[in-house]
Amino acid sequence: MTGWREFDQNPVSHSAAHHLTTIQFLLDEFGYARVSDVARHLGITRGSVSVTLKGLRQRGLVVEDKHKHLGLSEEGIRIARGIRIKRVLVQAMLRDLLGIPDEIAEQDACKVEHLISDLTAEAVSKLLQKIENGDTPKPLHEFIEEMKKESSGSKSVFPSEEAQQFSELLEQRRTEHEDK
Amino acid sequence: MTQGISRKEAIDRLNGLLSEEMEASMRYLHLGMMVQGLDRLIVQKVLQENLEETLEHSEQVAEKILQLGGCPAPKIRVEFEEKRYSGKEALQEALLFEQAALDGYRDLLEHVDGGGDVILEEFARQQVSVESEHVAGLKMLLEE
Repeated sequence: MTGWREFDQNPVSHSAAHHLTTIQFLLDEFGYARVSDVARHLGITRGSVSVTLKGLRQRGLVVEDKHKHLGLSEEGIRIARGIRIKRVLVQAMLRDLLGIPDEIAEQDACKVEHLISDLTAEAVSKLLQKIENGDTPKPLHEFIEEMKKESSGSKSVFPSEEAQQFSELLEQRRTEHEDK
Repeated sequence: MTQGISRKEAIDRLNGLLSEEMEASMRYLHLGMMVQGLDRLIVQKVLQENLEETLEHSEQVAEKILQLGGCPAPKIRVEFEEKRYSGKEALQEALLFEQAALDGYRDLLEHVDGGGDVILEEFARQQVSVESEHVAGLKMLLEE
């Protein structure tokens, strides 16, 4: 179990991801982004934004002109776009496949958007597209509809007895597989 | 009510500044712990003095909020980097959040200037002056 270490080695931290996507959002929406705008949008202090942006400038992801207007470098744009797309995909997967309410799906997607690999995001995208295009066997469609119904009505505290038993079964199966 | 901005807006802006000041004091404390190198003793002293001043400023801003009938309610979310700083790096970082505080006070002054609330206007003006000195002092140390 070494996956947790990936958190520290991720190219951008959760905070940095939000700064990049916020700058991109402000540029798209208003045509400019300043430290005060980013701070207001994220609900944090200008001091915090300035300190975070210093690191992002040093890494060549954020640029600042003489009027203190912020922009993103090509690499910054690529990363911000990637994070946004991952958020959209994960949110759609949680909402459309598992029937998670959109608001919770968005919050959960936001928590992992900068952590999941490009490979995983691509796979999620392909799966969603296949379903969108109807390239899946009919039983899967029926299964997804069933999932949506079950998830929308479920408000129990996690983990439910079923989920706990199932995870134990999965772990047991995995241990048996590793022992072989 | 101030004539320039509403009482609520004044309190919100002051709470924003309170957050800046309180965060700055935490950052000074952290920088003082993490600074290393030959200039550690000198830079630590500067950081300690600034820490004390930011705490004083926090109290002054909180006092203004109370005078306006509001509640000091700072929203603080600080992330500290796990790294050591040279004296120069520590001062460069301090310059960033001191400049941010100065910009915040300038914004406040812009909104209350000539608005009728002389006390708040004078407070904003005084803070701009003090923070400008801080920023200038740090820039001198950094030879910027």
